[in-house]
Amino acid sequence: MVIDTRVCVGCSACVYACKSENAVPEGYCRDWVVQETKGNFPKLTMENRSERCQHCENAPCVTYCPTRASHYAEDGTVQINRSLCTGCKACLAACPYDARYIHPDGFADKCSLCHHRIEQGLKTACVSVCPTGSLHLVDFNDPDEEAQKLMAGRIVYRQKEHAGTGPSLFWISASNKPGA
Amino acid sequence: MDHWQNFSRRDFIKISSLFLAGSAAMSSSAGQAFSGLGQSGSDENSDRIVYSFCEHCFWRCGIAAHVRDGKVYKIVGSEHHPLSQGKLCPRGTGGIGLLYDPDRLQHPLIRETKGGKQYYRKASWDEATGMVAEKLYGIHEKYGPGAIAMLHHGFGVSFFKQMFSQIGVNKFAKPSYDLCCGPARQASVLTYGYPSGTPEGFDIKNSKYMIFFGTHFGENMHNTAVQEISEGIRRGAKIAVFDPRFSTIAGKAEHWLPIKPGTDIAMMQGLMHVLISENLYDRSFVQHHTVGFGELWDSVRKMTPEKVAEITEIPADAIRTVAREFAFNAPAAFVHSGRRTNWYGDALQRIRAIHILNALVGNFKMPGGVVNFDKFVLKKPKTAHAHPPYEKSVYSRYPFFPDDEPSNTIASHEIVQQAISGEIKALMIYGVNLPETMTLGRETAIEALRKVDFMVAVDVLPAEVTGYADVVLPECTYLERYDALDAGRNFRTPFVALRQPAVPPMYESKPGNQIAKMITDKWGMHGVFPASVEAGLDKTLKMTGSSLEEIKKTGVIVRPETDLYRKPGVALNLKTPSGKIELASSRLRAAGFDAVPRYTPQPEAPAGFYRMLTGRKPMLTFGRTANNRFLGDVATAKENEVWVNTETAAKHDLNNDEYVHLKNQAGVVSEFPVKVKVTQRIRPDAVFMVHGFGHTAAKMTWAYKRGASHNQLISRTDIDPAMGSVGFQNNFVTFIKEA
Amino acid sequence: MTATAATEIISTKINPNVVPHLHIWEWQIPLYLFLGGMAGGLLVITSIMIVLKRKFGIGPKDAGEGCPCLAIRIGSALSPILLAVGMIFLFLDLAHPLYVWAFYTTVQPTSPMSAGSWILVAFFPLAVLQAMLVNKRQLRTFDVGIVHKVLDWTEGHMTIVALVNAHIGVGIGIYTGILLSFFSARPLWSSSILGMLFLVSGISAAAALMLLLAPEEEKPIYSMIDANAIWIELVTVGLFVLGGLTGSANSSGAMMHLIGGNAVMAGIPYAYWFWGLFVGAGLLVPLLLEFLEAAGVHIKYPNVAPIMVLTGGMLLRFLIVFAGQSYHTFM
Repeated sequence: MVIDTRVCVGCSACVYACKSENAVPEGYCRDWVVQETKGNFPKLTMENRSERCQHCENAPCVTYCPTRASHYAEDGTVQINRSLCTGCKACLAACPYDARYIHPDGFADKCSLCHHRIEQGLKTACVSVCPTGSLHLVDFNDPDEEAQKLMAGRIVYRQKEHAGTGPSLFWISASNKPGA
Repeated sequence: MDHWQNFSRRDFIKISSLFLAGSAAMSSSAGQAFSGLGQSGSDENSDRIVYSFCEHCFWRCGIAAHVRDGKVYKIVGSEHHPLSQGKLCPRGTGGIGLLYDPDRLQHPLIRETKGGKQYYRKASWDEATGMVAEKLYGIHEKYGPGAIAMLHHGFGVSFFKQMFSQIGVNKFAKPSYDLCCGPARQASVLTYGYPSGTPEGFDIKNSKYMIFFGTHFGENMHNTAVQEISEGIRRGAKIAVFDPRFSTIAGKAEHWLPIKPGTDIAMMQGLMHVLISENLYDRSFVQHHTVGFGELWDSVRKMTPEKVAEITEIPADAIRTVAREFAFNAPAAFVHSGRRTNWYGDALQRIRAIHILNALVGNFKMPGGVVNFDKFVLKKPKTAHAHPPYEKSVYSRYPFFPDDEPSNTIASHEIVQQAISGEIKALMIYGVNLPETMTLGRETAIEALRKVDFMVAVDVLPAEVTGYADVVLPECTYLERYDALDAGRNFRTPFVALRQPAVPPMYESKPGNQIAKMITDKWGMHGVFPASVEAGLDKTLKMTGSSLEEIKKTGVIVRPETDLYRKPGVALNLKTPSGKIELASSRLRAAGFDAVPRYTPQPEAPAGFYRMLTGRKPMLTFGRTANNRFLGDVATAKENEVWVNTETAAKHDLNNDEYVHLKNQAGVVSEFPVKVKVTQRIRPDAVFMVHGFGHTAAKMTWAYKRGASHNQLISRTDIDPAMGSVGFQNNFVTFIKEA
Repeated sequence: MTATAATEIISTKINPNVVPHLHIWEWQIPLYLFLGGMAGGLLVITSIMIVLKRKFGIGPKDAGEGCPCLAIRIGSALSPILLAVGMIFLFLDLAHPLYVWAFYTTVQPTSPMSAGSWILVAFFPLAVLQAMLVNKRQLRTFDVGIVHKVLDWTEGHMTIVALVNAHIGVGIGIYTGILLSFFSARPLWSSSILGMLFLVSGISAAAALMLLLAPEEEKPIYSMIDANAIWIELVTVGLFVLGGLTGSANSSGAMMHLIGGNAVMAGIPYAYWFWGLFVGAGLLVPLLLEFLEAAGVHIKYPNVAPIMVLTGGMLLRFLIVFAGQSYHTFM
């Protein structure tokens, strides 16, 4: 995904849309919103982010899963096969983004990038609802380079790159000048 | 024929859980109550999709409710509705939390007394509506229609208005007028000759520069506005925010100016000063299309940036910069008038000042400036049943109260006052949680509720107000009913929207369209309403060349974009006395008010006290979502906090996440403690807490005791003498640490 | 007035597993790690002693008929028993226990948990076999057909079995450590010496247990093994702590969180547990006591030292598992 934090207002519509779409149990979330403010009054800056599993290319959760319950799907996303999950919780310990939770029914769960919707040609629940248009699903193999168009000329970063996880969420920083 | 008791003093009755939905009635497994089905991965194509519009706020966005196995498992934005464009705010998504709220009212309730104790007993619809019909009719016979009033908030009220019309009752108040958007509405009327609508009349889509005074987009989730502002940001539009608090929109602003609270008018006058003295204003426009420029300039001549800097605590250079940037980008630049604008006793004048700024740069009906969106013109069939003439069309004593809104003929606080004075003997309260709204304070509201001879509450949840009723009528949620067609929103593409049920009413709740009919039937008046609500909708739609069946497919009928912009050389022909934009309002002058805005300093906080500011969280409304477990299931929605500047916190030895009680200038102490948020994001002289928490209604089991009530700490109100809004920002609090 | 810019973060995240910090493993896991480490240590000690005796003639007198001395027989039997008990706790910790079989549907070489579940598969038959072989005299008296068969088949190979078991024992001790140290997302755990620390700690705990249970005449050797294990463990702990403190901000912060700071376990700060009960009472004091004993000083209550070592060993696991979760994720 490419996520444009310049426009995100941190409303959490993405959180609730995901909750309904994926029957996320009460007390847990698959995605969440972070509002980060820096500085001292009155010189302050702010960034709002809708965060979720980063579907890493070098996912520690997949590396660490003893049963292959956590695995890479064909489209490169990280998915969980519930009927192989023992609930050992190693994947929760492994994830530096704290993206996972243990479902009350016992298995590990996290953002699935709404693969059940993508299979039908729909966008993820969060991308579909976002009123500011902050969230973008991109195919990095796409020759049209929609991803590049979104990111070109802007300050873009990934989270905890130094962890070596190869996260696939790209963030357009809120520090970009207006109109960048 | 008076079967039922008259209560000389109405005790608050906690509605027994026997009468509420209760979790037993709901699916029991964790998360089922609001996440619907528990199965992801099923084919979306097997869903039944129902297009309707949301009721969580006045924006009324189009929704698509997805129904599977008889349950609404998710609500998404309607791709057909112009205000949603397929997107939805968190509240809209949370509609399932209201629909499946285990605390919902289940049956009609009637107040009884037994052994000196008052309680509610379950009643049938027949009995309950019979009692309501008899009481209302009786009071109308004895005291006249002016003794009956309705407080309402919600789109479904139209049927009750029609019902009341049959006995000549038209004393209706929308608290959202005097407690929220009245000043913006009337300022627009006095300046431009038309009321501001929803969405507010700003061409955000094409704007290059947007100035906000305290309006906190992003925390208020006005769907379309937020969409268009985001689009603007992508386009490179710049934003300037005047706000004592670093709000979300301030976080996106080129300039955040932490203005001293209460000095907005001074700032606006300073901006006007720069525009005029530096010749940056649109001379030609002002000359041809406005009146009162001379008077305006006289009123701001002395408000130099230096003088204004002293008053507002914003540097003079910043004032000049914003004014110059505003003019540079004009006419594709605007100052937004905001929505909740009932701040101080000069609320009307404050918004007039905003519109004067807009007029000075000539952005009126220009791309990116102030525009007047059109409504869908909905032809209505003639009513079969004529109603008796009304005594008056407006009951408010405020000279500039609207006279063109039949659903709002008196200010809500005037109803409260008339209830206490005895002029009003009967109240119907539709979706207004009076003790927790800001009308003259909680105690006064409760006094009014106790005083009237008869009170009927129509509501969905057992909110505090329902504990004071003689009869409680459970209306079903917006997801379970038909309402009137919505042609009330103004937009680029005028539209009319349908509300239709996604699922049948739960328990014994009923839609307003049936409740009102039951009451008129009891009055012996038949034919007031169409044979069925569907028949009525179909008849109206056929007059527009459509039909109920047709509109159900997409939920809307949309007309092409209208021409919003003025043509050069053409007179504006506004509905103002001059036909032009009134920089100086002759109507205000004639009524003895200031023709041009004047800055009045507001009271300062007592030592050790801080001005209490309020606002929203983006995933909640003030009332309707208070008990919504689904929406409450994120960390930030679990309670409100009091934002305290780091320095102020140090002075009072407050730590982050500590719980304190607040005490206001009148000695009122908050009933529940509130969490302290020590932050850099607010001026040292003010604190901020989100409104809508601290409920005392125990049967709203989620909302009960959650957070602290901002409303409770309002002791002082400043009423705008011209149009009757109730300002409450002159309230100050200090902190009481837990022992 | 702060000179540095402050950062305020608000998050909507609710997830008791990670908010306010990682919270996935409770007492079951440290207990398992302790029992597992001890079982591995028991296997290492007993099998090395068997090899030393069989190959080099070093060690306490045999019991006769090829069976080693009592302590080794007890130790060999306890190893699989303790590990089995530990695995019960491991099973109790699983959130999806009915799917426990899934561990054995695949081998995931990059997952220490997978490696561990398969090591256990190797461990049990061989450790049980060793336990049977060293206790064959008693077992034969029960006259069970299959037991006779197994013993007949393998009794000539006790030395090989023990040699293999020595490696397995080391493997188990190390694996309990690298189970945690592979988590680079958890700065306290991702120390390269954790595997060694848990191995040495397992050996010292095993030696302490054998010291407690061994007959009087066999005790001295276990006292010596334990004392040596303890000082090696002290060095390893020292390296663990220093390595953390001199590492990156993540590592040093995590280490300070464990050995200093205000975080508590059962109401008492980690620092008191770590320095007081683990390093002090669990290592230094027993080391001193055993040194004195070896020097000929009469210790009135000789069981105190090994019990303190065992307590310290268990405490180490609890502290590391809890402190590792209560410190923030890798930044």
